[in-house]
Amino acid sequence: MLNATILLQILWTSLATSSYYVLFAVAFALVLKVTRIFNFAQAAIMTVAFYSAFVTVQWLEWPAWAAFIVMMAITLAASFALERIGFEALRKRGVSVMFVFVFTFMVSEFVAYLAMLAFGTWPQTIFPTIFWPVTLVGNIAVSAWDLPAIGATIAMLALLFSFMRFTRMGQFMVGVADNPDLAELYGVNKRQIFLVAVLMAGALVAVGMFLYGTRAQVLPQTGLSLMLFAIAATIIGGIGNIAGAAIAAIILGVIQNSSILVIPSEWQGLLLYVFLFLAIVFFPNGLRLPRRRRRFATATRDIGGSKDASAAEGQV
Amino acid sequence: MEYVDGIIIIVGLYVILATSFNLIIGYGGLVSIAHPVFFALGAYTSAILARNFGVPVPLAMVAGMIVALVASVALVLPTLRVSGDYLLIASIGFQLGVLEIIKNVRFTGGAGGYTNIPPFLIRDFGRESYVALVLVVMVAVILLVRLVARSDYGRAMSAMRDDELAFASVGRNAMWMKLAIFGLGSGLAGLAGALYAHYFRFITPEQFEILQSSAILTMVVVGGMRTTWGPIVGALLLEALPQAITFLNLPPSVLGPIQGLLFTGLVLVFMFFRPQGLVPAENVWRGGEETR
Amino acid sequence: MSPRIWSVKGLTKAAAVVALLMASGAAASAQQAYRFGLAMPLTGSQALYGQDQVKAAQWAVDEINKAGGINGKKLEMIVLDTQADPQIGIQAVNRLISVEKVPAFITAWSGVVKAVAPIANDNKVVELSVGANSPDIATLGDYVYTTFPLADIDIRAVANYAATKMGKKKAAIVFINADTGTAAAEVYKKVFTAAGGQVVAYEAYDPKATDFTGQLLKVRAANPDMIHLQGLVSDTPQVIAQMRQLGLTQPVSSYSAAYNPKLVQQLGAAAEGVIATSLAPGVADSDKVKDYVARWVKEVGREPNGLPYTEYLYDAPYMVADIFKALDSKKLPPTGENFRKEMLAQGAFKLPLTGNTKLGADHTVVKPVYLMEVKGGKWTKKAVVGE
Repeated sequence: MLNATILLQILWTSLATSSYYVLFAVAFALVLKVTRIFNFAQAAIMTVAFYSAFVTVQWLEWPAWAAFIVMMAITLAASFALERIGFEALRKRGVSVMFVFVFTFMVSEFVAYLAMLAFGTWPQTIFPTIFWPVTLVGNIAVSAWDLPAIGATIAMLALLFSFMRFTRMGQFMVGVADNPDLAELYGVNKRQIFLVAVLMAGALVAVGMFLYGTRAQVLPQTGLSLMLFAIAATIIGGIGNIAGAAIAAIILGVIQNSSILVIPSEWQGLLLYVFLFLAIVFFPNGLRLPRRRRRFATATRDIGGSKDASAAEGQV
Repeated sequence: MEYVDGIIIIVGLYVILATSFNLIIGYGGLVSIAHPVFFALGAYTSAILARNFGVPVPLAMVAGMIVALVASVALVLPTLRVSGDYLLIASIGFQLGVLEIIKNVRFTGGAGGYTNIPPFLIRDFGRESYVALVLVVMVAVILLVRLVARSDYGRAMSAMRDDELAFASVGRNAMWMKLAIFGLGSGLAGLAGALYAHYFRFITPEQFEILQSSAILTMVVVGGMRTTWGPIVGALLLEALPQAITFLNLPPSVLGPIQGLLFTGLVLVFMFFRPQGLVPAENVWRGGEETR
Repeated sequence: MSPRIWSVKGLTKAAAVVALLMASGAAASAQQAYRFGLAMPLTGSQALYGQDQVKAAQWAVDEINKAGGINGKKLEMIVLDTQADPQIGIQAVNRLISVEKVPAFITAWSGVVKAVAPIANDNKVVELSVGANSPDIATLGDYVYTTFPLADIDIRAVANYAATKMGKKKAAIVFINADTGTAAAEVYKKVFTAAGGQVVAYEAYDPKATDFTGQLLKVRAANPDMIHLQGLVSDTPQVIAQMRQLGLTQPVSSYSAAYNPKLVQQLGAAAEGVIATSLAPGVADSDKVKDYVARWVKEVGREPNGLPYTEYLYDAPYMVADIFKALDSKKLPPTGENFRKEMLAQGAFKLPLTGNTKLGADHTVVKPVYLMEVKGGKWTKKAVVGE
């Protein structure tokens, strides 16, 4: 069963389809790293992104590039609202992890219901057709969707990387991710950095959903289902490690697709959960855990990076 | 009549679920969404033992409860060593993963569901006897959780929740306490599952999905965490309200999403303007006391 | 104003009028309506189908009443929401039976049908499943019947057709790893092999998957001459698109989930040759269906979602009406038991859109299967099996 062509084909298609997963994972990891928030509301942003593109292309009948711009604008606006109205309010009150989780989860559900109301529950795609012409390279079928998808992902990642490495704001972001209050003492505007992080995540999500929605059908609940993969990749890649999340997303995608060759197809869906569980149980010692506070952005009480401290810091 | 009986039983079961969940996330401070999966484990275990193996129903129900308890410990043990946040992610994975397994395995009936679950009590003593059973269990669970919360144990939980480091430094073991709370809460959810299975006699994996998590979460949040009456009020509201709405004859095309919007919106509104919930406890959402 | 209103004459007249009113009122209430229930998803993710089905049923009830109802008495349909959820379905049916006291009700969606079966059986109320196709519906109990053919009927037809009429010898089955998929895949395998074919690939895919490369490559390696796909509306187009992209040029058959105009739009040229089953006649097969669809387009502005299912739901009240009429003529009270007896006694019904329906003693129903094929960008009828 494992002949070269089949393996190469699976590798190629998995690579291409991991493009959107990488973007979703990196977006989730970025927000987590900088703001310390497990942003389950990303599903809501994903839903907003998709349906704005869908409406622009299929209802308004504008060309693709215009739809992309509209989608990006609306997604960024939604991300802005999420950070400024949502997260900032939560920070001001010094709420717990539980609160944030419930809040972000509920926001995603709320937006899903709004989408159901506005768009019904019939599965939709951005373009009316999801069929992309295929060219054969050697014996490998390369769809006209694959290369632009990979290209867009690489471009977004490159932008992100150069931003964080080479711009001042990017460096501030790393500082805030490490220790927000300390960074503030050095004159960095925490608020602004948080906003930039959430906006950048929104941009990543927008591109990701554009890619996804031009290849597969989307329902109002799809955002939440896609999130699991992003979360798994972030955990497995290492919390605080954005590159790790990206790599984990690719590897997970490839493994999930090629697993079909060795395990019965019924069990394929289970793999993700197995990986997640293994990562949580076996990897944490190797991960750089962020020094979490019990409250958001309150005065620091540096307890050190020991296991006891992280256990203490992680509670509600 | 059967219609009202069904509703009473459902509300009773959800009160049990909300109360036990309150024990876990409210009193125990454990961030987990994996409650419906224990509901499912209890239901399926009891159903399968009773139907396929002829185990008498009361025994099967107890077995269901035990299986849920053991499974919860299996979930919590490895993750608590690490940090509370991991429990959340792990619980998501556990909730979805176990349900996947149930959907794929033959002997649970797979995605099509498990039918012909043996009834209990109804044939001999009538429908009302089952209603009475559920109500009795419900009251017992409420009292039990209340007892735990108000006891020394409860005070210890509060201390653990507020400042785990200090808690450890005075010699208390947080981990055992968390395990106990999680196990108890999940076991009770399993019992609710068993009770469900033998009344409605048909269960499918889709009834225990993550949507249930948000429903139970809503009940606890809107009702009021860390109080006795909070989950009860929440369960009543969330189960009785939809039924009441159907008597209003609203146009169906908007009813469904509007219902969803109503409930999630309700949670969001409550979280912002009345985070303690309808029945307030103190300091419900605060991250903990800051000693300066 | 005359102060003598209350004269004897006036009072007598008044009394007469009142008596007449009371008598007519009594007569009106003696003219009881014949009631049955309809439990469908009015809300939730399945509502787009459920609501269209309810509308079709409502049209039928209105037509029946316009034509005189049940021997002059009104036919009344009580509609409740199930959200296609077993739990909510139970509550809806409980209400129909305990509160509304109907002798029979119609419902759909396999999960709901199975969940409410014990209630129907315990209370001796007839449950008519119209649209669900899970094979175990036939074994749910004495009071559970279906007017819609169960899964094996159309899968059997398409498998046999491929083996015998299309001469296919090696079939690959790709199915969604969920109830509909697994049950139907087994039926296809059994029937195809019994008809002399060989199943060379049998691959399931996860309901959440969007990439089917692995499974499709295995199928490609097995070199079939026919591929049967059993998925859902939400994944069928992707699977077929990826099939074609990976160089699988074999004909693809599916079931009613594929039979919708959007599929052609989404796949473009790749949709050519796709075969789907329909369990109800199409616009080209029957004038009545043509008028029915035209009415949809005129009144609602579009075609119904899941046309075949709506046809069955349009017909169901007619069947119920026939049974009620018989009970009324025989002066039997409309209880569940009598309903069932009469239904089985009649056995065969002539229904407006879906034609002749014969309820079997084994709680199943056999109907012709229409095989539709995409030709020249449109769905056209390829064959009819079992007429």
